[in-house]
Amino acid sequence: MIDTSAIGLVQVEEDVKILAPNVIITTFDKIINWGRLSSMWPTTFGLACCAIEMMAAGAAHNDLDRFGIIFRGSPRQADCVIVAGTVTKKMAPVVRRVYDQIPEPRYVIAMGSCACTGGVFKTYSTVQGCDSFLPVDVYVPGCPPRPETLLEGLMMLQEKIRNEKARWSPWR
Amino acid sequence: MPGTYLPSEYLPVLIFIIIAEAFGFGALLIGMIFRPKKPYFEKLMPYESGITPKGEPRYKFSIRFYIIAMLFVVFDVEAIFLYPWAIVFDKIGIYAFIEMIIFIVILLIGYIYAWRKEAFEWD
Amino acid sequence: MAVTEVRTTIHPAGTDPVQIAEKIKELFPDQVIDVANFRDQVSVIIKKDMSVAILKYLHDDPLLSFDHLQDLTAVDYLKKKDVRFEVVYGLYSMKYRHQIRIRAQVAEDNPSIGSAVSIWEGANWHERECYDMFGIRFNGHPDLRRILMPEDWEGYPLRKDYPLKGPELEKDWIGFREVIRRSQELKEFEWEG
Repeated sequence: MIDTSAIGLVQVEEDVKILAPNVIITTFDKIINWGRLSSMWPTTFGLACCAIEMMAAGAAHNDLDRFGIIFRGSPRQADCVIVAGTVTKKMAPVVRRVYDQIPEPRYVIAMGSCACTGGVFKTYSTVQGCDSFLPVDVYVPGCPPRPETLLEGLMMLQEKIRNEKARWSPWR
Repeated sequence: MPGTYLPSEYLPVLIFIIIAEAFGFGALLIGMIFRPKKPYFEKLMPYESGITPKGEPRYKFSIRFYIIAMLFVVFDVEAIFLYPWAIVFDKIGIYAFIEMIIFIVILLIGYIYAWRKEAFEWD
Repeated sequence: MAVTEVRTTIHPAGTDPVQIAEKIKELFPDQVIDVANFRDQVSVIIKKDMSVAILKYLHDDPLLSFDHLQDLTAVDYLKKKDVRFEVVYGLYSMKYRHQIRIRAQVAEDNPSIGSAVSIWEGANWHERECYDMFGIRFNGHPDLRRILMPEDWEGYPLRKDYPLKGPELEKDWIGFREVIRRSQELKEFEWEG
């Protein structure tokens, strides 16, 4: 029998499976989303202690390169930004500008408690969570989060990209 | 039509060129169609670590590049003249040899002049 | 093998910190308000008028030779003392290994004091931090501007009457309000899956 598990077949009746009408779009979706999630290139934006854990996640023991994640220095060559560390009000315009300069499709991971919600610092100079000026996709809490936690956050982002529908067409 | 020459043996080269161009331009064209086009001011600004760019984007580079390029052109053309002379060397006799020696000596004088004027120094 | 000379840390000529304080008292009798001694840490509390002269004497005197300004900071005694601020200078002598603390009282209505940059270059950023956090002006400082907070921040954060969580968003720093306003305007350009 032909192995039909790889093709996305849709069941219409009992024992009858057909190719869905939008098979071309969904196949393109799968291929393009797979391409995007397998080579997610973040901009290095380590602000404070979470940067150390981000470096540890990228180092030898927990390797990020095996996921296709290469840290790029410039946002122009990157896919996403990992905001790792405390965002102060003086630094907020810089973070926003770096996010603005990433070409689409772009994603934001807020790593650490300070980037998610301001952390322990409810003070005059700390932004209480970088989601007041950035559209965050994945929140990775922890102070600092272990490299495995950051890895799980990146896996969740990959899952989010895998479920995107037709985000490559001119009419998205 | 009499008198026209169709180089039909080179047809594969034409097909090769067309396919290569199609690959190159096709990639750019597909990108232009499927690319998101949503520019806004902050996205188009030149990148300077997140702050507003200060200062001139250009910087002065050394004039030595121009001097080296000029010298290269001159001596490269000399080498080009040496090639056909070398190919017919055994047929043209002693006079051609002496003439080429004179040619090389003239350019050698120019080379020594450039050397003494420190055109080959980088700093 | 030559035996190297071991330098003793106590120089014989009168460098016990209490004696240093006594010396300052006899040279500047009307400037010294008090001498505090807590577990051999001596602080001399002075008025701010001749603070630069006293510090210069402590730096230049060959038997005292306080060549290392270890720290320069300020304290806010809101309502606990009559004079609100105290600028604290922690001095150390690398030659004789003695240290002392000078506390200069600065009143709230004219919070300014002479700058120590002419004596120790390292006082530059410490004085900028005191200005940024407390609002104490240093007369004679070459470049007195904010160092930690943004240039146009209003208020002096480490004063005791400044709220810890900072101002409300409407009265917050203009730069931060700009970022939030602009990010609202650019909502259509976000790549929301």
